Amino acid sequence: MTAKNIPERIVTFSEGLPGFEAFRQFVLVASPSLDPFTLLQGAGPTDAPSFVGIDPLLVDNGYRTTLSASDLSRLEARSSDPLLWLALVAARPDGTASVNLRAPIIINPASMRGIQLLAHESAYRLDHPLRAA
Amino acid sequence: MLVFTRKLNEAIVIGDGIEIKVLRIGRDGVRIGVTAAPAVPVHRLEVYDQIRAANALSVADPESVHDLAQRLREHADAPVAVRR
Repeated sequence: MTAKNIPERIVTFSEGLPGFEAFRQFVLVASPSLDPFTLLQGAGPTDAPSFVGIDPLLVDNGYRTTLSASDLSRLEARSSDPLLWLALVAARPDGTASVNLRAPIIINPASMRGIQLLAHESAYRLDHPLRAA
Repeated sequence: MLVFTRKLNEAIVIGDGIEIKVLRIGRDGVRIGVTAAPAVPVHRLEVYDQIRAANALSVADPESVHDLAQRLREHADAPVAVRR
């Protein structure tokens, strides 16, 4: 599922994101000029942080991570519900970028609830390189 | 910080129904069981800290994010370009 198919724009992270716990609401922005990235724009105060995400399957087409019952509960989702997955992109000043495949953002379009997955065991990196060497 | 001494199989309760129990005491570690409602997130602190650091590096400026997307598209790995 991609952000383009989601009519609602405001997503609520009940726990915030690690390091940014005070900011609970983000606006999902998808546009041709952003494609294939999605902007998660902090809503509310002017110092609200924004992030850029990408479908982890576009970075690693074998990407597979399972959600726990707790994750699904916090998303108000059942295991069969279509979910939006976004791996956060970290751009470096030198033009390279990495993608956090270990702790993806997951959004349930039906509830517009979001979480960041904090798996303690993962085969994926926090800084998977996005660009070819 | 509140400090307790707990023996094997003893527990503490936090708030409304969060139970933390000592399941095993070994030489190098203590095995702890946490019982909480599914909606309560429970994380290892070091994992949380790692992700906090990664998130801090991922903050993007919304004003320049289209330029960033353009740059990332140009530099992205083949799968992004092909499957877009």
